[in-house]
Amino acid sequence: MPHVMISNKKCTGCHMCELGCSAFHEGGFQPSLARLFTDVNPTTAVIKGHSCLQTACAKCQEACPEDAIVTRQITVKPAGEFSSREKNGDTVTGFVLIVDESKCTNCGDCYEVCPYDVIHEHPAREVAFKCDLCDGDPQCIAFCQNKYVLAVDLKLDKKDKELRA
Amino acid sequence: MDFYQGKVLKIDLSAGTAIVEPLNMEWAELYIGGKGLMLRYLWELTEPGLDPWSPDNPFIVATGPFAGTNVSTCSRVVIGGKSPASGTMLDSYMGGSFGSILKFAGYDMVIVQGLAPQLSTILIKDDVVTLAPCPAYTGMKTSEIEAALRADFDAKMTAISIGPAGESKLPWACISNDQYHKAGRGGTGALLGSKNVKAIAVAGTGKVTVGDAKAFLDDIERMDADYILTDDNYWVHEEGTPILVGITSGAGCQPVRNFSEGTNPDVENIDSEAFQKIRVKKRACYQCTLACRNFHRVEGAEGEGPEYETIALCGANVGVGDIDALMKFNIECDEWGLDTISTGNVLGLAMDMTEKGIHDFGVRFGDLDAYLKVPEQLATRSGIGAELAMGAKALAEKHGCPELAMHSKNLEMPGYDPRGSFGMSIAYASSDRGGCHMRSFPIGVEVVEGSMPADTLDSSKVVWNIDFQNHYAFKFCGIWCDFWAIDYDQMTQLMKHLWKRDVTEDELKVVGERVWNLGRLYNLREGTEKKDDFVPKAMLEKPFTTGVSAGKVIGSERFAKVMDEYYATRGWDENAVPTEDKLRQLGIDVRL
Repeated sequence: MPHVMISNKKCTGCHMCELGCSAFHEGGFQPSLARLFTDVNPTTAVIKGHSCLQTACAKCQEACPEDAIVTRQITVKPAGEFSSREKNGDTVTGFVLIVDESKCTNCGDCYEVCPYDVIHEHPAREVAFKCDLCDGDPQCIAFCQNKYVLAVDLKLDKKDKELRA
Repeated sequence: MDFYQGKVLKIDLSAGTAIVEPLNMEWAELYIGGKGLMLRYLWELTEPGLDPWSPDNPFIVATGPFAGTNVSTCSRVVIGGKSPASGTMLDSYMGGSFGSILKFAGYDMVIVQGLAPQLSTILIKDDVVTLAPCPAYTGMKTSEIEAALRADFDAKMTAISIGPAGESKLPWACISNDQYHKAGRGGTGALLGSKNVKAIAVAGTGKVTVGDAKAFLDDIERMDADYILTDDNYWVHEEGTPILVGITSGAGCQPVRNFSEGTNPDVENIDSEAFQKIRVKKRACYQCTLACRNFHRVEGAEGEGPEYETIALCGANVGVGDIDALMKFNIECDEWGLDTISTGNVLGLAMDMTEKGIHDFGVRFGDLDAYLKVPEQLATRSGIGAELAMGAKALAEKHGCPELAMHSKNLEMPGYDPRGSFGMSIAYASSDRGGCHMRSFPIGVEVVEGSMPADTLDSSKVVWNIDFQNHYAFKFCGIWCDFWAIDYDQMTQLMKHLWKRDVTEDELKVVGERVWNLGRLYNLREGTEKKDDFVPKAMLEKPFTTGVSAGKVIGSERFAKVMDEYYATRGWDENAVPTEDKLRQLGIDVRL
């Protein structure tokens, strides 16, 4: 299934993914509310990316007592001049995990289990918020369009690759 | 408000207070941000003729309107005040992440005045501001202070800080952010150190709005593809500034052994190719797609840099062609908090004086053992550092050899000798902060492109320098980085989002000229005169003997003639003072 992955090795630590993500979802640049993030140690060359693996992980969905994390079909066409998939004219149809805000009680069970620290309470709406692949147009990839780097890109899990083969 | 946060954080260390003032939007309209806005505040905040070491001298951090958005390179901040090194206006820029995070915390600018009773840190977490005494941080190097603040204050914080050099008020102590980013020039670190402030740390969780965010994202994506991520721009990612090492030596304009020659015999040991062999990683500033920063590794040393200026001044200018030693020296300068340009310039002078028998400092060109001790000696003012801390001008004058000091307006010269690029003589002499290559850069056309001859000096060079200075004065209001070769057309496309109306190139040119003239007025007010617009006589009269620039002489007369043309073309009078007509035409709202 499609999900966004950050290559720690390639990432230069510019945080453009967080900026694009937050502007798309929050109406302004606010990386503290980005749906993915990079831990950048300024002193060393070490960077660690955090992003949602969607159905390939799904620990939040398993933990949710309210069934508020739902699986939706999505067609992803990564934006960005240099995105590897767009270059191949490739779109991916699969599934994404979305928070159903009408069901979410902000109990916090999913916050505890997320291995990547990418599902949190939204400070304004008091419900969980997470990556939704920007309705099929992931802005993190669009702004990691550095053709020499492309550290943020769309990946498929094994099951999906098998299905498509 | 879109783009601007509309808030200035003003800290009075003597009173122990922090207040938030609304950003003066009339000034923001006239002077945009960065350099221009900082200068306008500086003009207002101090009495004429201020002693730069006075607690009243403000330490100003200003962002540009695009900090905290995804406009590439605009995370930069300017550090401003009156320079403790040169007595001129001080505007020193750095990348890193401080500008963006300060915006997320809710501020466009921070202004620090007064004197803290003991060494302190200023901690900013959104709208909570704390002035915290920090005796335990005394003497910490730049990596140590950042680690301590991440542990003690906030794991996600970013800080501007000083190393031991700032604490000892070395006139070229610099400011650090994210360890490797330096607002290097003019004594920014000495200014903060003189206020007893070790660091300003900020953690911000807020939002920067731009109006219609999705439309903005679309437009920036287009501009990234068309203007930034182009093959033409990508030398900064693929090679970075070391690319200049081979170029300037080949053109005979690299400072070698205290600017005594322009061609470096050791160039292949420390050129771009040599650094690519020890490269381990590319890194970017916050909100920048270019990622020009290079991490290198040699035995016993790993870190970012050195950049071109360090290679030129702390390599060629001191007779060092050993890449391992240069890496170590650069890391030491970063850790102790030293500007590498002034460090290499002053050290080259001390070596020159030693070799010439004028005074024995115990350091000679290429002597690696003595060389590697110098950063610590300077920062702690111990050993030869105690005397070298005077700076090039005062040191050479003390020993009766002022002709050996390579400075302008008491700021040590960077890595380009005008004898291999004649236009640089105008650039240096007319620079608003002294010996600096970041106001205009004729190297670009005279050496890199070759679109103008390197060995002519006439009206065309005068006009070229003025256009470049105005362009960069605007660019540094943005604050766009030097490495995005952004033209007026591209800047209008971004300014359109800021001003929410159509913008013409001519409007921006006027702003640039306005900012440049405001800087001139400030320097005049503080006592800088026409006679201070000079370059060292050797650069005008004494030809090199090796390389392609050998035998070429600018000549003092020719230089004086173009400088007079420069003033006239600028609309300045015979004393190099902007005329009333010029000030009115530019809409400048202050007068001498």
